[in-house]
Amino acid sequence: MIKDYIYDGTFEGLLTTIYYSYLDKDEVNICRLENHIPTLFSEIINVTTDSEIFEKVYRSTLKKLSTEVLRNIYYLYLSEIDGCENLIYSYYKLCFKCGVSINLAKNNDTIIAVDTMVHKVNLEVHRFTGFVRFQEIRSLVFYSPIEPDHNIVSLLSTHFVDRFRDQYFIIHDTKRASALIYNKEEAYLRDFTSHDQQLLLSQAKDDAYADLFKTFFNSVNIKERYNPSYQARSMPKRYWKNLSEYQ
Amino acid sequence: MVLTIERMFVILFLVMNMDIKNKLEILSDAAKYDVSCSSSGSSRSGESGSLGSAANSGICHSFTPDGRCISLLKILLTNYCIYDCAYCINRRSNDVRRAAFTVDEVVDLTINFYRRNYIEGLFLSSAVVKDANHTMEMLTEVLKKLRTEKRFRGYIHVKAIPGASEDLISECGLYADRMSVNVELPSSASLKLLAPEKTATNIYKPMSQIATRIAENQEDRRYFINTPTFVPGGQSTQLIVGASPDNDLTILKLSEQLYNNYDLKRVYYSAYVPINTDKKLPTIQSPPTLREHRLYQSDWLVRVYNFKVNELLTEQQPNLDVNFDPKTCWALRNLNQFPVEVNSAPYDMLIRIPGIGLKGARKIMSARRLSNLTFDDLKKLRIAVKRAQFFVLCSGKHYSPVKFDVSSIAAALLPEIQASESSLLYKQISLFDTPSFSPSPFDQLLLSSDVHTSITGEL
Repeated sequence: MIKDYIYDGTFEGLLTTIYYSYLDKDEVNICRLENHIPTLFSEIINVTTDSEIFEKVYRSTLKKLSTEVLRNIYYLYLSEIDGCENLIYSYYKLCFKCGVSINLAKNNDTIIAVDTMVHKVNLEVHRFTGFVRFQEIRSLVFYSPIEPDHNIVSLLSTHFVDRFRDQYFIIHDTKRASALIYNKEEAYLRDFTSHDQQLLLSQAKDDAYADLFKTFFNSVNIKERYNPSYQARSMPKRYWKNLSEYQ
Repeated sequence: MVLTIERMFVILFLVMNMDIKNKLEILSDAAKYDVSCSSSGSSRSGESGSLGSAANSGICHSFTPDGRCISLLKILLTNYCIYDCAYCINRRSNDVRRAAFTVDEVVDLTINFYRRNYIEGLFLSSAVVKDANHTMEMLTEVLKKLRTEKRFRGYIHVKAIPGASEDLISECGLYADRMSVNVELPSSASLKLLAPEKTATNIYKPMSQIATRIAENQEDRRYFINTPTFVPGGQSTQLIVGASPDNDLTILKLSEQLYNNYDLKRVYYSAYVPINTDKKLPTIQSPPTLREHRLYQSDWLVRVYNFKVNELLTEQQPNLDVNFDPKTCWALRNLNQFPVEVNSAPYDMLIRIPGIGLKGARKIMSARRLSNLTFDDLKKLRIAVKRAQFFVLCSGKHYSPVKFDVSSIAAALLPEIQASESSLLYKQISLFDTPSFSPSPFDQLLLSSDVHTSITGEL
């Protein structure tokens, strides 16, 4: 019998679920509410998020395992790929069974899967420190839409706040309808719908520098060295639609 | 039509805008043959009331269709030049559009591109106008304005102009993250041939001066934390490959010396793009990118993998092989050091095995602490077993599909399509005359003229 544990999609909910399912003898399948497809053969368990249990799991991960393991788990959660919850579940089991040192076993299938996913999230964060394109809405107010594969917008905060301390900015994840907003004092995440986006862009003026950057982009290219596959490898095409120089 | 003041402003703005757009087009086009694009090596956090920071890893912001990254706003301050170097697009005798930025225009472009996250900072170079000192002064003025008036904390890479005074270069270095002097031609013979107005001493003098100042500055900063930094990202240089008859050994020997004597962070290699017609220059169909690639591979081996140039090339074999990468070539020549047991070999030896890189070696070191590694484990660690299989032992067992001798391994490793054969093919169909011809998957790897330059190193 498979047991489907359904949680609300928050990190708190996920750790609560791990707690409840940890000692389950049956095969466990953890799933977000929005992704759940009921089958005939599974028993459904709806988990209510409990902040006390979350705290407990969070602290014991730090104490008995390590910050690195906790960070891996958080990044896996942010990756939002299919089955990331089940990977987290088996990663937890493995770490508690063998100790933190199991992370050295780069030939272990679970560790390989974890490392690969964490690397993907890290890579995307690094890429988006470069691939965000701000448009000036009003003087020193900047807006950028992005569409990352993973839910990384919160991880971009440190870099962008440090760099652009003296300007207002909004980094809008259009796929997840959330935005990182910085108001020169603090940065916070909030829901940001396409309606909000339209409202904001209706006030926008034309940005002459976007055109200038496109000029630069075109003239700095060396035609004799045309190598589009290398370009697409470094900058996958799925990101291009939000990059002003490709428009 | 009545010209209201408002409309006049709009027109004025358009005219000025056109102007800056043209300048940008000309002066970034003129700067593009400088290959350095890195924004790494300098780490600076943001500060309240200031704009910008520098990330140690460097950040790429975009990629152009030639596959190169845009990290810095790479422009010349001007392309009016007093020199007439044969290989250079901006040579005095060339009939190209000329332009010059004002200091404010560069500052404005940098700040506004930066605020939109288009760039990581500025890469400022210039043709030599009037004389070296005048040019260096103008470059310094831009940097000074960015750093002091605009409080810009992003990355700045600036060219030191050969022949400029020591004081000017020292002042400029206080504002820059990286400085570079381009050697361009790897020997004084080719310098005499292609850039007779330049001298080797003029090029190496600022380089050694910057190296000394960097070392002094690092020493000072150990004792006085508030000492202003001097070129914290180090210095780099560029060599043109394929414009002169110098062979790979000469080029790599030079790089090795530069790394050792001047503590350079990077030497860049730029495949010569035939932009000028001059009888002193070779006639080639396309840039020798494969040769450039092999040089970069060797450069990494020297800089990161602790190889010596003498191990990679000899007087008898002064050029890199086109069919095998330099590490494989070395391994085939030194087969007596192989096969290597992956479960006990030290890190320094692991990274010398073809198919195992720094990351692979680190993974092996990590995983073997827990258990002995099998051949399947190597695959799981994403080691390129296709190449590594010939050179490794796993718990004493050799998994190579062929006999352990040079000729069998070389035959097994030989690429299916060899560079030398495809060159004939490409000449016959003359791919390069018809741009509409759909490129074959090999054209980037195996350009006919590459082969020519790579095999002989002469043109």
